[in-house]
Amino acid sequence: MLRVLRLAWLTSVRQPGRTSIGVLGVVAVGALLFDMLLLSRGLVLSFRDLLDRAGFDVRVLATDAAPFTGPRIVEADAVAAAIAALPQVEAVVPVSIREADIVSETAASQPPGRVQFIAADPQARPMWTLVDGRDLSAGAGANPPLVVNRTVADRLSLSPGSTLTLRGACGPDGSVLPPVAFAIVGVAGFPFDDAAAQTVAGRLSDIGRLCEGGMELGVDMLLVRSNQREGAGRAAAAIQALLPPLHVVTNEELVERFSRVQFSYFRQISFVLATVTLFFGFLLITVLLTASVNQRLGEIAALRAVGLSRTRVVAGVLCESVMMVGAGAILAVPVGLVLSVWLDDILRALPGIPSDVHFFVFEGRTLVAYTWLLGAASVGAALYPMRIVATLPIAATLRREVVG
Amino acid sequence: MTQPPIVEARHVSRVFPMAAAPVTALSDVSIRIEAGEYVAVVGPSGCGKSTLLHILGCVDVPTSGDVLVQDRNVGSLSDAERSRLRLREIGFVFQRFFLLPMLTAWENVELPQAEAGVARLDRRRRTAELLEYVGLASRAAHRPSELSGGEMQRVAIARALANRPRLLLADEPTGELDQRTGGHIITLLDRLHEDGTAVVVVTHDVAVAACAHRLLTMRDGQIVEGSS
Repeated sequence: MLRVLRLAWLTSVRQPGRTSIGVLGVVAVGALLFDMLLLSRGLVLSFRDLLDRAGFDVRVLATDAAPFTGPRIVEADAVAAAIAALPQVEAVVPVSIREADIVSETAASQPPGRVQFIAADPQARPMWTLVDGRDLSAGAGANPPLVVNRTVADRLSLSPGSTLTLRGACGPDGSVLPPVAFAIVGVAGFPFDDAAAQTVAGRLSDIGRLCEGGMELGVDMLLVRSNQREGAGRAAAAIQALLPPLHVVTNEELVERFSRVQFSYFRQISFVLATVTLFFGFLLITVLLTASVNQRLGEIAALRAVGLSRTRVVAGVLCESVMMVGAGAILAVPVGLVLSVWLDDILRALPGIPSDVHFFVFEGRTLVAYTWLLGAASVGAALYPMRIVATLPIAATLRREVVG
Repeated sequence: MTQPPIVEARHVSRVFPMAAAPVTALSDVSIRIEAGEYVAVVGPSGCGKSTLLHILGCVDVPTSGDVLVQDRNVGSLSDAERSRLRLREIGFVFQRFFLLPMLTAWENVELPQAEAGVARLDRRRRTAELLEYVGLASRAAHRPSELSGGEMQRVAIARALANRPRLLLADEPTGELDQRTGGHIITLLDRLHEDGTAVVVVTHDVAVAACAHRLLTMRDGQIVEGSS
């Protein structure tokens, strides 16, 4: 085997121009293929990571509509208490989202803006990452506490200790109440924010200060953390059995739904581009190897005449293909990674894309799939030149070489 | 008890199917090559000399008739078995040398031995001995592109002898060489024969043919002169 590899290596380096073109072609093809594989599951992985990072693995909604788009869960306190009493459940956090308009004097020179107001129990594990100041649980004295995202903080020049006045944008759900002054206690990053999102977070009870009705109108969602011994599946089943009218979904199911519907475009695009890319690479290697073999027919026929077996010379061609594709494939990985970072930045700049979402996400199985696909391509690309060598008529070729 | 011939062709014909009409390269040829013989095959171009050599060397199969190498019918052997037979029993020398250009002279000679599974130490000893034999010990590390035509042919002869074949087949071994260089090759073939290897050489070169102990003349796919 070592002899076959060595001869294949020497044959490859004997034609450095041809081999370099082949390797460079595989680098280009490999980098694109690698990126398409990263893209095919990147959003799903990134979305799952976002969901998992919040620390809750089950979501309870009023219906199967997407979160924050459907009807609310009424009598949320009682529902949350009933769920919390289940042995499969470790914690329950009601969450609501409303919109509010900025009326703060601090922003007098700025045009009025609208923020998304996330309301959650201040004692619960927060769904955001604090980057400055304190969290809601610390309280804020006379005014209700508020955490703002970096965009709001920068736009309105807010910092912990500042005040922000908001007026609820309650829609048909409830009458607007007088503006409320909130004390900024911290600045935080919200995982589902896009680059332009203006998000703030306050206590669940403060919804009642913004819109009439407040909590009586219900909460958008209950976030549930399952008991580790039981797992999300069992917790979801227990909640569903307890409260059949509610829609209970685990993170896995949510990811699966998004993967099947919302993210399927990316999977289809990556599949088509990966297939075209791979086919191009396959053709390139086939053409180069075929040209190389055709140049060496006399030499190959002579080797067969000297006694080298058919398997041996065919294996040599296969090794050349694997070496060329292998070298290109190895070099393509770092190129693909750099390219994926660049493409990721472009795609994440699209409006409405959460800043923490990535389109290109690396995982071990991507590398395995990449290796398999290029391995198969290298074998496939070698099939035709291998066939030429395998069916080479020794005597006729030797005769032709002499006459030629 | 008499020894079987090294190779024997019995009523061998070879017809090449062509678009216009089939071409008969060999027609009912029978020939025996005994151990240690030196046979030259001569005749005009296209008379079937090379085809006969290819069939005797098991790189081509006859359309009809039988070829026996040491009493084994080649027709009944698989491709792999024929390869093994060529590797161990038959040495080939070509007009155009066909050395592997990326290997040194040493590596070219070592290649068939490695293929035959000869141990590394034995390979080294045999390769050194062969390069010494053909007078190229000092050029062992040179690649074919760094050798003259005569030197390349001597390396090709050393390669053909690598696995101690009992039969050496040479197709126009001096065809690409000048007279003086060709003379060296003739001397080498002569020496090989003296050392016990049977040699069959296809040639247009009168000097090569003159060294042979048996001369076969072919015309139109048949041996027309010389005992078969």
